[in-house]
Amino acid sequence: MKLLKYATYRLLQSIPVLIGISVITFLLANLGPGDPVSLMLQGQEQNEQLVRAIEQRYGLNQPLHERYLTYMGGLLEGDLGQSIHYRRPVADLILERVGPTLLLVLSAYAFALITAIPLGVVAADKRNEPSDHASRVAALIGVSTPSFWIGIVLILIFAVKLEWLPSSGLVYPWRPPSTYRSIDGHLELYYQSLRHLLLPMIALGTLQMATIMRVERTQMIESLQGEYVKLARAYGVPERTILRKHAFQVAQLPIVTIVGANLSTAIGGAVIVETVFNINGMGQLFVDAIQQNDYQLMMGVTMMLGVLFVLGVIVTDISYAYIDPRVTYGESE
Amino acid sequence: MAVGESQLDSETESGAEDEVEARVGWRYTVARIKQDTTARLGLYIVSFTLFVAMYTLIDSNLSRLTFGQVSDYTFAQLLPFFDHPTHIPPPGEGTQHMPPYFPLAEQSWNPLPAGGTLDHPLGTDHTGRDYFTRVVYGTQVSVFVGLISTFIGLSGGTIIGAVAGYYGGKVDDILMRIVETVYAIPPLILIIVFTVFIGGASIWYAVLGVGIAFIPIFARIIRSQVLSVREMDYIEAAQAAGVKDRNIIMRHVVPNSFAPMLVYATLQIGVTILIVAGLSFLGYGAQPPTPDWGQMLNIAHRNYMHSNIWLSIWPGIAIMITIMGFNLFGDGLQDALDPQIDD
Repeated sequence: MKLLKYATYRLLQSIPVLIGISVITFLLANLGPGDPVSLMLQGQEQNEQLVRAIEQRYGLNQPLHERYLTYMGGLLEGDLGQSIHYRRPVADLILERVGPTLLLVLSAYAFALITAIPLGVVAADKRNEPSDHASRVAALIGVSTPSFWIGIVLILIFAVKLEWLPSSGLVYPWRPPSTYRSIDGHLELYYQSLRHLLLPMIALGTLQMATIMRVERTQMIESLQGEYVKLARAYGVPERTILRKHAFQVAQLPIVTIVGANLSTAIGGAVIVETVFNINGMGQLFVDAIQQNDYQLMMGVTMMLGVLFVLGVIVTDISYAYIDPRVTYGESE
Repeated sequence: MAVGESQLDSETESGAEDEVEARVGWRYTVARIKQDTTARLGLYIVSFTLFVAMYTLIDSNLSRLTFGQVSDYTFAQLLPFFDHPTHIPPPGEGTQHMPPYFPLAEQSWNPLPAGGTLDHPLGTDHTGRDYFTRVVYGTQVSVFVGLISTFIGLSGGTIIGAVAGYYGGKVDDILMRIVETVYAIPPLILIIVFTVFIGGASIWYAVLGVGIAFIPIFARIIRSQVLSVREMDYIEAAQAAGVKDRNIIMRHVVPNSFAPMLVYATLQIGVTILIVAGLSFLGYGAQPPTPDWGQMLNIAHRNYMHSNIWLSIWPGIAIMITIMGFNLFGDGLQDALDPQIDD
């Protein structure tokens, strides 16, 4: 119950930030140099009446603050306006595209956590030995390499040279196989989606992996020097158990913070990785919106990505509170 | 021991002095960096990239500075190391290698095979420009972009963070809410929207955008630093002496909270270069014909993944090494400035 209360509290706390995001994106999108009306009339003759009619329809003839209030009113009802380029509701477009991006980001994090935590523990355990140095060099390379270049190199090796894995697109595991003609049966579907996901996942996850590995290593080293570890050693607890249980659990707390803090990098990275691998996610939608000067869509996507980040941070905060019994759920006691 | 008494005295004296301020000060920091192998490596890489960036800057601007009087003359020819069959063309003007039988037809001109030739060690790009030259010139864009936008973020963040932390109360609340809001939009997204807002894709808008997008991070750090410095006695003394708030912030608060910022800024340069490379890759950073690694990778990725894989390799390696240099140096600086870390 206490946790639920904390969650509600954090959600309420994020409302000003969400409003702030909407103001910033609204101003940037609406005060920009692009003129949506002339964009809509591309290739057509511009007559006064038509321009008026369009302005009327999209509410462009109203003053800015009224347009903002109308937009926010629609937003609360789940209406993000009409995309000018696609001529469809922005909310529908986002719902269609949010799946692949979430799949990509979450699997990248899964990859990062699964590889980084054991590597970090091993590095801390074998401090200043060759395996430690190797993992530190790997982490340094991971932090210093752009995700899109990792993607390009992976495509060059595994798709162009070896031809093992596909170089673009995604197969979504939640779509029934009937929509993919060449795939029959769910197992085949999962296998195909894994094959498609592997390279973008690694490309996006490497930076996270390297960051998490560095933190895990320092935390484990610190944790291994703690009093409780000394006590466990004095009691004759085997070193393996100490490493796995006593030292390990304490060292995991900062990892949660890192995951939350790096979420915005991961979302930004997803935009680029989606471009490299030609994945139809939020990132591609955003790039499309910018290129087509589709200000409604741009606003919708930017806000949605901001909301995703804020929600992600709240989730990590809550899981932090859940893991760490010392956190008081932000209440003054 | 045959050491003169006076010499001995001065030695112990200076030794005692070192003991007192043993773990602070520039000399100590530099000494620590020199001891640390990885930090030294970082310093070498950073110095090298800075040198290349400055060098190409002088080189490519020479003809413009001399009004074309010595347009065929470049510094590159002075150094045998950079001695080039023709000459290193200024960025964007190196089209003289374009073979006459493919005039202006970009797509039909196939880049040289992997490995290139003696004339073009890394081959040429799709317009026949020497790829090695372009990779070298790319350093300029990346390094200056990294430095300038980090500087924008650092100064903006310092002002906002220092004011918020020093005054506290409502000022702090309002400033920090704004900072949090900007922080909540993923930087890359914010920068692209901002770039489009102020007038379209250009490297300078990208630099400004990156700088602004990183203000929140710096502001948060400097604010927490200022909060701890504010309680110091010397601030109270200055206030009691009637020093103006602005002067207290500029003369006492900021300098005393600067060491961690310096480390962070160094590490941030790497992040900035990473983000600008991403921006250029998406087409919102440097525009052709400016040689920029991200933009070169974009062209290579879109058109030449199968025909010449090396075009996609070299700029990436250059980005990696540059960022690695700043990261290594920043890590080393962090260790050197942290009095609690022992060797």
